[in-house]
Amino acid sequence: MTASAIAVARRVVARWEFVLVLLILAAGTWSTTQSRFFLDTENLLDLMKPYVFIGLMALGLALVVIAGEIDISITSTLAVSAVAFADFWDRGLNIWLSCLLGLVVGMGLGAVNGVLIGLLDLPSLAVTLGTLAAYRGLAFVILGGGGAITGFPSDFTRLGLRDLGSTIVPIGLALFLAATAVFAFVLHGTLFGRYVYAIGSNREAARFSGIPVDRVRVTIFAISGLMAAAAGLLYASYFATARADAANVALLDVVAAVVLGGVNIFGGSGTIVGVFLAVVLIAVLRNGMGLANISGEVQSIVIGSLLLGAILVGNLMRAARDRHTGQGFLMRIHERRLQRGKHNRPPRTRPGLGIRPTKGAR
Amino acid sequence: MTAARLSLQTVATAAFRLRELGIAIALLVAIAIFAVQAESFMTVGNWRNISVSVAVVLAVAVGQTMVVLTRNIDLSVGSIVGLSAFISADTLSTHHGLPIAGVAAIAVAVGIACGLFNGLLVTVGRVPAIIATLGTLYIFRGLVHEVSGGTQVLAFELPASFKAFALREVLGIPALAVIAIAVAVLGAAMLRWTHWGRDFYAIGSNPEAARLAGIPVARRVLLAFTISGGLAGLGGFMFAARFAGVSASSGSGFEFDVISAVVIGGVNVFGGVGTVLGAALGALLIAVIENGFTLLKINEFWKTAFQGFAIVTAVTVDALVTRRIQEALRQRRRREARDAARAEASA
Amino acid sequence: MSVPTGPPLVELRGVSRSFGGVQALSDVDLRLRAGEVHALVGENGAGKSTLIKVLTGVHQPDAGQIVFEGEEQRIGSVHAAQALGIAAMYQEPSVFLDLSVAENIYAGRRPRGPLGSVDWSRMNAEAGAVLAELGVDFGPEAPVRGLGVADRQLLEIAKALSVNARVLIMDEPTSALSPREVENLFQVTRRLRDQGVAIAFVSHRLEEVNEIADVVTVLRDGRHVATQRASDLTQAEIVRLMVGRSLDTLFPKEETEIRDVALELRGFTRHGVFSGVSFAVRRGEILGLAGLVGAGRTEVARSLFGIDPYDSGDVLLGGKPFRPRSPRAALRRGLAYLPEDRLGQGLVQLMSVAANCSMAVLPRLTRGGVLRPWLERRLARRFIEQLRIRAYSPGQVVQTLSGGNQQKVVLAKWLAAEPGVLILDEPTRGVDVGAKADVHLTISQLAARGLAIVLISSELPEVLGMSDRIVVLREGRVTAELDRSAATSERVMEAALGAATAA
Repeated sequence: MTASAIAVARRVVARWEFVLVLLILAAGTWSTTQSRFFLDTENLLDLMKPYVFIGLMALGLALVVIAGEIDISITSTLAVSAVAFADFWDRGLNIWLSCLLGLVVGMGLGAVNGVLIGLLDLPSLAVTLGTLAAYRGLAFVILGGGGAITGFPSDFTRLGLRDLGSTIVPIGLALFLAATAVFAFVLHGTLFGRYVYAIGSNREAARFSGIPVDRVRVTIFAISGLMAAAAGLLYASYFATARADAANVALLDVVAAVVLGGVNIFGGSGTIVGVFLAVVLIAVLRNGMGLANISGEVQSIVIGSLLLGAILVGNLMRAARDRHTGQGFLMRIHERRLQRGKHNRPPRTRPGLGIRPTKGAR
Repeated sequence: MTAARLSLQTVATAAFRLRELGIAIALLVAIAIFAVQAESFMTVGNWRNISVSVAVVLAVAVGQTMVVLTRNIDLSVGSIVGLSAFISADTLSTHHGLPIAGVAAIAVAVGIACGLFNGLLVTVGRVPAIIATLGTLYIFRGLVHEVSGGTQVLAFELPASFKAFALREVLGIPALAVIAIAVAVLGAAMLRWTHWGRDFYAIGSNPEAARLAGIPVARRVLLAFTISGGLAGLGGFMFAARFAGVSASSGSGFEFDVISAVVIGGVNVFGGVGTVLGAALGALLIAVIENGFTLLKINEFWKTAFQGFAIVTAVTVDALVTRRIQEALRQRRRREARDAARAEASA
Repeated sequence: MSVPTGPPLVELRGVSRSFGGVQALSDVDLRLRAGEVHALVGENGAGKSTLIKVLTGVHQPDAGQIVFEGEEQRIGSVHAAQALGIAAMYQEPSVFLDLSVAENIYAGRRPRGPLGSVDWSRMNAEAGAVLAELGVDFGPEAPVRGLGVADRQLLEIAKALSVNARVLIMDEPTSALSPREVENLFQVTRRLRDQGVAIAFVSHRLEEVNEIADVVTVLRDGRHVATQRASDLTQAEIVRLMVGRSLDTLFPKEETEIRDVALELRGFTRHGVFSGVSFAVRRGEILGLAGLVGAGRTEVARSLFGIDPYDSGDVLLGGKPFRPRSPRAALRRGLAYLPEDRLGQGLVQLMSVAANCSMAVLPRLTRGGVLRPWLERRLARRFIEQLRIRAYSPGQVVQTLSGGNQQKVVLAKWLAAEPGVLILDEPTRGVDVGAKADVHLTISQLAARGLAIVLISSELPEVLGMSDRIVVLREGRVTAELDRSAATSERVMEAALGAATAA
């Protein structure tokens, strides 16, 4: 009895999600020493509000990274979607219809990334680096400059600010929880999610198994764009303004949430629960540091260090394990790259065969 | 067969030369349009402006070129520019007697430290360059804020000699542009004539083969990041001199100008291909566009959009051209196979 | 004309090496003498590659000694081998596509000028000299990306020549060369030999072995079979030594009822890779596809399965035309392909046995896109039982299974798809003996159940023992089609090698 209990306990403790919970508790404990307000129920529930848009983007990015790619254009997609939404509304469209159109815009921008990466087989880093700039410029173009659109109806702004019904749960938090649940279900419980993992861990094998690799890869980026658009709407709602430079420094938090959440940067593994917990961790940390009057930029030193630290610790652990099994870490990375790269290169042929007049056959 | 082979080889070679030619043509077209549209464009004063604004980007782009050649990327250069600019200017504001070279040395030293840190993360820590330098982009920026405590270094705090330096000219060329040209020439020479410079190309071209050929891959990548950091530090010094003042957000987003200059200039994001000349042309194109847009009162955000669009186009074209060449080679083998079959049949 | 008696430059004594239970080399002796071209021949998997890798420091032997100039040496790395003057060139050159020819030759050891800089003029001059010696038609400054693979092969030779190697290992150097280039290469090879270089030459083209080699060593199943003067051996004798083995393994070939044609290829061609390949497989039949490595067997299968493009030819599946486009399309028409590279193409190592088994049929196990894990587990349990996969549960991660059991998981994945035609590419490579028998039994049972099976295998006994009919490919063309009763090791090898055994 106790032995099996210990085994279960050991398995729980060995999970990365458990470490994240510990980190959240540690950060929370530190926060209480910084401000007596931290433990107020209101603060605890509200502290997530400003980070909901981070969380929504992190969910989309997690999908992309698990599939073995990266999308750094999301913060710009967020800005375009928010600005496009506001512009539609400003031109007299219904606010909810504008929201819908904003989501469509974001998904479209993501799909553009997806087509370039999935169908033309271009490197996702370079493509999304380009669209990061292009979309940001587009946001300014739509707005016609550096101004802002404000004055949204309260029906809309309550999304980011108010609580759900008569409860004390903020609507934004509820939306994030719902999105997390949906993503967890899609990734862990559906055909599509399984395809994402398979493509991320071995694209070649996925293709050989008849998985529609190209289609899935395009879809992933479209979803990432959609989530960025949703984040943009929440952002506009929370700050009650739509600006072209919206969220232009949010990329660190999103990437950190995904990596800290235990998603392998080389693709193939990661859980939505981990990403959710990492978003909470970042929110708690930033909230605590905010209460301690540390400026946002200086807070980023901590978040950036956490991001790098998470990868370094992961690499060290893997190296230690591989030393144990006598398999070099670098070697495995190399093998993975080979596996993944195979699809990129033009098909390997054995040229020359048949070129040569066969002497012996005459 | 020999003729076919030679012509194909020429095509392949030309395709890569064409990359720089293409960007040069784009540059000339842009210049021609602006010259017609904006009367103040083709003036000495305006070209002085352009040369100064291209100078800072170019100096940093030389280092970035080296990093990208090794199949890596350095996103943190904007923050390194900010950090080194602030620290060197701040030091100068309290020590007015510091010689110009001393200020530059401080800035470069700060940059080298940052670059070394990036390089160690990538080589020893095995963190992918994109993630490592995304992290340090924010960490270094945070450090600027930490060091500055929200204050700025304003022009009146800096000695007159420093402010005069930025206005100095050598043979009619602004001093900052002279520095940038020197860096570019030196960088190009290093990439051409040093063993480590050639190693950058080899590593980016085929890391595994580089390792087998006995090239110290990790040390070279570390060197590339360190140089990139050092040149970003120098860029910080030039930045401080150009604007005669630094704030905590100085250099934010600057990495975009640098990376787009490099990528548009034909340095392949897969590594192994690219020249300093290409990066310089890329930097010049961006500076000309920015300048022209300003003169034509086109909002500067169009420049951002243009840069992003140009990066995507460059990457797409580069990849498709490479594939086209590969396909052309297969077609040649196909022709040879047919010829051989015919020869066999007639024998 | 006696076997030279001088002391060998390099000597392998009793070298053995195994990989995960498969004995690649056992107790092999080899003596390479200065001024001698020593041909290494053997079937696929006879141990030639492993032997070469031991010499070049890629693999370390489990047992035995390497003696270089009378002194025992441990060749622990590629660099150690290079330091001894052992250079090697492989059939698939690894080059720097973006650099010039000269830089490729001198990568990592470029000549230094007075200031320690790269001495381009000397590098280009020296490279030019080496290239001139080879008689190639590209210069030292040509970009390698512009070169075809044959030229890249010559580049590898130039690299080996430029280090003034004392031992030169040539692993199928001629496989991509034109006759003129081969003649050039042989001239250079002879010149090097006369200068006192010891040369190990691996080739499948026996006429080349006769032409260039002084001494021939035959390997079979990782063992040394014979070393004789090349002039004392005819091609027919070499073939006999290579295959000389009785079919001592029993293959569980069941007699099956052979029914209608399931898959037919007519003039299937991919330019420069394979051409005019035609054959048909019937339901209940096992068709062996034999040939040497690189003969185009895998390439035909890949194009058929829609992974690589093809240029012309017709494919009929169940009598109806089929255009290979993608693996997905092929699977939909009941054509499955078990790939050669199990790790890279067959399995998702980090996923469970159940997830791998269900991968090709997942849509069938879901409802509205939602996974139904119990169905996957049931499927996996069925195959664990049927194929005797040694996994403790369907949830076990595939990475932790042995090679043979991993192969069974890949097989299970394709069987789950219930294909009408199954192409098996090297289904027993790297698989231990027990699991091998299981795989053979399964293949036989599948055919009995009415599947049409194309069996690609480099193990001659396997092809001979399992197949109803054998199609032999050589250099991308069908060179023989043999009935089970007519097929012998010698005849298959002759067709695969193009050897003039009648002589």
